[in-house]
Amino acid sequence: MFHVFKVFPNKIHALSDINIHIKKGEFVFLVGPTGAGKTTFLKLIYRGILPTKGQVIVDGVNLARLKKSLVPYLRREIGVVFQDFKLLYDRNVFENVAFSLRVVGNKNSVIKQKVNEILNIIGLFHKRNTNPHLLSGGEQQKLCIARAVVTHPLILITDEPTGNLDPETSWDIMQLLFKINIWGTTVIVASHDKLIGDKAQKRVIRIEGGKVASDTKKGIYSL
Amino acid sequence: MLRNLLFFIKEAFLSTKKNGIMSFATIVSLIATLLIVGLFLIISLNIDNILSDIESQLVAIVYLSDSATEEEVNEIIQNAIETEGVKEVKYISKEDAFQKLKSDLSEHEEILAGITENPLPASLEITVTDTAYLEEISFNLNQFEKIDEVNYGGQLTKNLLLILNLVRRSGLAIIYILVFISILLMVSVIKISVHSRYEEIEIMALVGATSWFIRWPFIIEGFLKGLLSSLAASFIVSRGYLYYMEKIKLSIPFINIILDNQILLRVSVILILLGVFIGIFGSIISLRKISFGEL
Repeated sequence: MFHVFKVFPNKIHALSDINIHIKKGEFVFLVGPTGAGKTTFLKLIYRGILPTKGQVIVDGVNLARLKKSLVPYLRREIGVVFQDFKLLYDRNVFENVAFSLRVVGNKNSVIKQKVNEILNIIGLFHKRNTNPHLLSGGEQQKLCIARAVVTHPLILITDEPTGNLDPETSWDIMQLLFKINIWGTTVIVASHDKLIGDKAQKRVIRIEGGKVASDTKKGIYSL
Repeated sequence: MLRNLLFFIKEAFLSTKKNGIMSFATIVSLIATLLIVGLFLIISLNIDNILSDIESQLVAIVYLSDSATEEEVNEIIQNAIETEGVKEVKYISKEDAFQKLKSDLSEHEEILAGITENPLPASLEITVTDTAYLEEISFNLNQFEKIDEVNYGGQLTKNLLLILNLVRRSGLAIIYILVFISILLMVSVIKISVHSRYEEIEIMALVGATSWFIRWPFIIEGFLKGLLSSLAASFIVSRGYLYYMEKIKLSIPFINIILDNQILLRVSVILILLGVFIGIFGSIISLRKISFGEL
């Protein structure tokens, strides 16, 4: 991101003059108090929104110049996980993961193989026919991650992935994210969870009031 | 492609099921609307039929004076043939006319009993290419001294044609209005459907489904609802038409009602095309404003 500004129509300056470079394969924590602009930062990456000023470049593509019709192809390279899960509760676990493969036009046999593979990795294979309603919070979050990474994206964006979970489950989720990072996916985690940031010993970008307050390698997260 | 199509159809059914009552209400109101459209179509087609029937029967009858010589009659015929809009000129002699009258009244010979001399004039029967020419032709022929009278149905026919045309036009206007209303109905139904599936749409957009991929299930949903409603409507219209027309024809035999499958086929095809059009067009309109690119 180069000199990125984002001003919303209601004149709120969500981000101003952000300059961040995230390398391929990096694991980055994005921290800061609620309302600091973390979610806006993430949305800019998957082109949920466009910057008011400045450039966002993802995988060599300038998003401001990306044609609208090509946005879906960008999104296929980016997995997104939300705090509020956004699961489909009228479908079972398998179908929830399969959904993201199906809508980009995969064959049924490919879908089956890939979904089962990822469910095995996250440890939900035995619950593949269960409705997500019946899963615990941690399991639902894992399911979201499975859905986001089943397409083998270049980047995984997670917005408060541990926001609703107890510390133990949270750490479990982090372990999963580290694992995904080791396979080569760039992982960006927005969080205000102090403990996890400290424990992880990864790069921490701190945003406050829409500005980068600090950017530390193996940083300690402090407010 | 087939794989996607199957997925779209499955999603369309899922969405229909999810909004069960709404879907049912839509289909019922679409059927009702299409029934009325079908009714007016049938009336309109029948009026068309009656109109062309009347028009084909419209001729100008030219009554010739008894004093006209053969030369004068030939001149009049020649003149009539050369007039614009005249298709055919048929000469009916005094004797022909009398014979025809006799045969028409064969069951009531007593009427003719007192008649010894042929009272009927010789005449010309002029068929035209278009009824619009009738007035002009009769006006031109009236210039001839040896023509007693030109009769072409005149004002009465004109009024009848006017009324029938008016009925047909109002029928068409009502059809247009109904189609417009049905499209609005479809738009709101698909919008509700889109809202009830907001989560799916959001996820689809996030994992990189193209906006057309997201739209297709809704378009198919509209298509299916339109198709289903129009099939039901055309079935009801066909059954009802055959049943009632049979009765009407028995009680009012002189009305020229079309009573074959041709008209029903035509009406059914129009209704089905209309239903499908309403479904697809309504969906596309309601999806137009939803931008899937930005969340």
